[in-house]
Amino acid sequence: MNKAIEDIQKESLEEIDNAKDLKELDSITVKYTGKKGFITSFSKNLSNLPSEERPAAGKKVNEVRTAFESALAEKIVSIKREIEEADTGIDVSLPGVRPAQGALHPVTIITREICSIFSSMGFNIAEGPEVETDYYNFEALNFPHNHPAREMQDTYYVSENILLRTHTSPMQARVMEKEKPPLKYIVPGKVYRCDSDITHTPMFHQVEGLMVDENISFGDLKGVLTSFIHQIFDEDTSLRFRPSFFPFTEPSAEVDIRCVICRGKGCRVCSQTGWLEILGSGMVHPGVFEYAGYDTEVITGFAFGMGVERIAMLKYGIDDIRKYYENDIRFLGQF
Amino acid sequence: MKVSLNWLKEYAPINKDITELSDSLTMAGLEIETVESRFEYLNEVIVAKVNSAKKHPDADKLSVCEVDTGEKVIQVVCGAPNVRDGLTVALALPGTILPTTEGKPLKKGKIRGEKSEGMICSAIELQIGVDADGIIELDTNLTIGDTLLKALSLEDYTLEIGLTPNRPDCLGLIGVAREIAAMENTSVKFPEVKDLAASGDINEHVSVTIEDPELCPRYTAALILDAKVADSPFWLQDRLLSVGLTPINNIVDITNFVMMETGQPLHAFDLDHLEESRIVVKRANEGDKFTTLDDKERTLSSETLMICDGKKPVAVGGVMGGQNSEIGDNTTKVLLESAYFSPTSIRKTAKKLNLGTDATHRFERGVDPEGTLFALKRAAALIAELTGGKLVSGVIDENPIKHKRTELNLSMMQTNRALGLKLSIEEIKKHLESVEFEVSIKDEDTLFVIAPGFRVDVSRPVDLMEEVARLEGYDKIPVTHPVAPSVSALPPKVTFYRDKIKDMLLGLGMTEAINYSFIGDNNADLLMLPENDDRRKMLGILNPLTEDQGVMRTSVIPGLLQNMKHNNANQNKTLKLFEFGNIFISNGQNQQPTETEMLAGVITGGTKDPVWYQKEDSVSFYDAKGIVEELLERLKIENVTYTSLSVDECLYTRKGYSAKIISGNKEIGLIGKVKTEVKENFDLKQDAFIFELSYENLLSAVPESLNTYPLPIYPSVTRDITMIVEKDVEAGDILKEFKGFKEKLFESVRVSDLYEGDNIEEGYKSLSFRLTYRSENTTLKDKKVNKIHTNMSKRIIEKFNAKLP
Repeated sequence: MNKAIEDIQKESLEEIDNAKDLKELDSITVKYTGKKGFITSFSKNLSNLPSEERPAAGKKVNEVRTAFESALAEKIVSIKREIEEADTGIDVSLPGVRPAQGALHPVTIITREICSIFSSMGFNIAEGPEVETDYYNFEALNFPHNHPAREMQDTYYVSENILLRTHTSPMQARVMEKEKPPLKYIVPGKVYRCDSDITHTPMFHQVEGLMVDENISFGDLKGVLTSFIHQIFDEDTSLRFRPSFFPFTEPSAEVDIRCVICRGKGCRVCSQTGWLEILGSGMVHPGVFEYAGYDTEVITGFAFGMGVERIAMLKYGIDDIRKYYENDIRFLGQF
Repeated sequence: MKVSLNWLKEYAPINKDITELSDSLTMAGLEIETVESRFEYLNEVIVAKVNSAKKHPDADKLSVCEVDTGEKVIQVVCGAPNVRDGLTVALALPGTILPTTEGKPLKKGKIRGEKSEGMICSAIELQIGVDADGIIELDTNLTIGDTLLKALSLEDYTLEIGLTPNRPDCLGLIGVAREIAAMENTSVKFPEVKDLAASGDINEHVSVTIEDPELCPRYTAALILDAKVADSPFWLQDRLLSVGLTPINNIVDITNFVMMETGQPLHAFDLDHLEESRIVVKRANEGDKFTTLDDKERTLSSETLMICDGKKPVAVGGVMGGQNSEIGDNTTKVLLESAYFSPTSIRKTAKKLNLGTDATHRFERGVDPEGTLFALKRAAALIAELTGGKLVSGVIDENPIKHKRTELNLSMMQTNRALGLKLSIEEIKKHLESVEFEVSIKDEDTLFVIAPGFRVDVSRPVDLMEEVARLEGYDKIPVTHPVAPSVSALPPKVTFYRDKIKDMLLGLGMTEAINYSFIGDNNADLLMLPENDDRRKMLGILNPLTEDQGVMRTSVIPGLLQNMKHNNANQNKTLKLFEFGNIFISNGQNQQPTETEMLAGVITGGTKDPVWYQKEDSVSFYDAKGIVEELLERLKIENVTYTSLSVDECLYTRKGYSAKIISGNKEIGLIGKVKTEVKENFDLKQDAFIFELSYENLLSAVPESLNTYPLPIYPSVTRDITMIVEKDVEAGDILKEFKGFKEKLFESVRVSDLYEGDNIEEGYKSLSFRLTYRSENTTLKDKKVNKIHTNMSKRIIEKFNAKLP
């Protein structure tokens, strides 16, 4: 019997050694250590042996089993290594399995950029209604009734006193009505003007800004807006403040940047002027403070507003503003 | 507002070149929008010599000319009587666009069989003179081949100023010149009013009565007799052309010329058409009809100020003259009007009549109340001079309400504080004086300032501060940084989560759309909303640009379905779009609507763009639901159930394919497949699945804080159960029942398979669930798990009347 187990050992190790692939090893495993395998049967038969022979035989079987298993394991490793070496691999040029990913609307991207720049300067974000009253959109902002200044914006009316806000500025009046200085707010949102061509859509987005405190000066307005422009475009973007008119600010300033397309040489985008209008701004008009009940002797402040689409157009080189609202994924997918 | 450089030079010396000039005007607040070189077209017209002019063989009045261009000799057919051998002429070559050819370039051609390779021009055709007798005869000393621009050294520029409404003083060239003079440290030069011989007394010819002084505080008039209506002389026509006005006749041209010069609109009447030779300024009767100069009949209101004669209205005051009294070819008696009208009244009238003119543009912004008479005298003298008429002595000056100049105190300290400057009181004074404010020093900090009449925009000290800033130059104000209070400025919850949700949806493969907030009012029908649906309460816009933008949207869905159509039409069949935006439910046109922010999405086409590793597969209800489920789970919203919408609740989604989303007891929104009929209404060819959530309700379901749980120590055990239930049993109900079991060791359950078809009886389906069991403090034994699993399964089977396979 002992002799038989030694034969099994020899034969099994030889078979492992000669095996060509994993499948062959599988059948060798079944043949020796499967339920009815030679080594398994041997173990089972141990109980039939005289008790004095059992310890030695048991020990021997265990040795055989251990040798078998370690040889098998070694052979598996070496076959796997051979397989890996023989494998020529896959076509890595085929496209990968990509989880789908959408895109944000460019207006959202730019609005976020603007808001985060001002947030980092300590401005709070507020939002307001899109359908406004004449009072907040015009009157409280120092636009008198029957004044040509109202024509600066083509207003959509719902009724005599209800309109679609033409700017995000009504929130200036709403914020000041509720809170006392110091105030630092920005207001992103949709605005409406009845005008439609290659550079105007009847709905667009603005971000309004307001800073009110004691001793805020025009120099501060220049400081805040200069650092904003340098952040949203780049440090090399030169800008100028030029006198303008808005009923709710005085002095008012239009902010121009050096044309980002031609760098000031003059091109179609900047109408050959080398400059691009980017922001309207100014010191809050005392008339607006009076509506809010602030002491105009002590309180000063500045306000500004910018068109999001316009900044996006300049940053991304979009030439037709109407593309923003067709929601063509060939367009949206580019951002 | 257009001005020309040469004309401006009449009133102020200009030493800057055109670029510098327009830059400094822009920086002074008069934004120069465009600069146009007026005679640019003369660059394409050359000096040429007629070598010979012979009679056209087939036309008596035409000549066939050999013309030397300096480079070669070409043949040109010419119709002018004065063309002859040896003449130096202006020749326009093919391709030239002249101001008189209406934008069309000249072409080579044949005239009565003779080829013509250019055009010999008259002064009129070149807009450099009015000589109409034939072609212009140029100085023989000019160099043949030179451009006319160079040869005649003609140079002028038209500048378009984008004037802000606060600066009506610059609606006349003198006002613009005043700004230039201030920059050059000089003062503006007023045009001379010629002291012409006058006779008689105007009061014997005509009288003026103002019945409504509030609407017309001042009315002045002058009279010219024996005037002869004719074309204006060239210099006058040239001035008008240089600012974009069309010459009409000498009298009308002079009124326009003086308006452009002074900013004061003028009107000329034919006195012979004024009954009773008098002018009465009064309000119209409500409903009166009146035909204006433009041949249109207008309906008047009692707020309209009319200029009338003894019997009838003859002009809408400050707006437009009437047909019944206009200057005609036979006019000889010219009654000239220069008046000051209430800006508000003019604006109301112009708006009401929908009639904006050069006059209303100025009157409604505010003309100089002190400039009325100067403009009258200037124009009257010009009319007398240029029409050969006789000026009648005297003027009528009715001025029941005198203009009062604005007087203000300005504090130096306040000015410097607001501007961030350190100007001395003298410097401030000097700036204000440079644009004709009268300034005196009251004390060391205070200036007493009287505004000139033409500065109607000045009413507060801050208006003066703006002048100081503007004249000092905004670029001189140093950049400073406000001291920022150290208060944090985190975005509010509503903004924070909107951004977060958008980012999550991106990760779920959705692209953001933004649609107009206005839609067509037919969309309620297209969505098949019932009559009593809130979304039929649409807020109408009074002045929409187009009908399909006529009302504020009450749903985000129509916009997204239109986007789907647009993209499908452009061969993008697979689409996943979402939109955040407000809807507007009307509370009546005289109130603000209820604005509710919605989050909606549409998905259609394949589950993915076509790829090699996976067969194309169309999206289903479950793809839309999966997006919503994932979103809500990421937002940590708990207790969400999705229940089937009843037939009545399905409006634009298909019954049996629509679910409402409920968290706690709040309805958040719905998911569904777009109904076939609605698909047809929106002209969609593919199946579409939508979701529509109320952002407010969604936000209120987001928990305030996030709770975590410790990771389990012991392994879990899973068991499956498959059961056959009737088809209309909802898996959601079974899951809910499972989840309701208060069994400590039961951890979770999920649907692992759904099967219908072969081997399953008609009207039934096979559902498999995988349950997970786990203990917190030991490794579970099979026996224990089996007991619980069998027990739970049994209860489910009983509850749902299920069978085992």
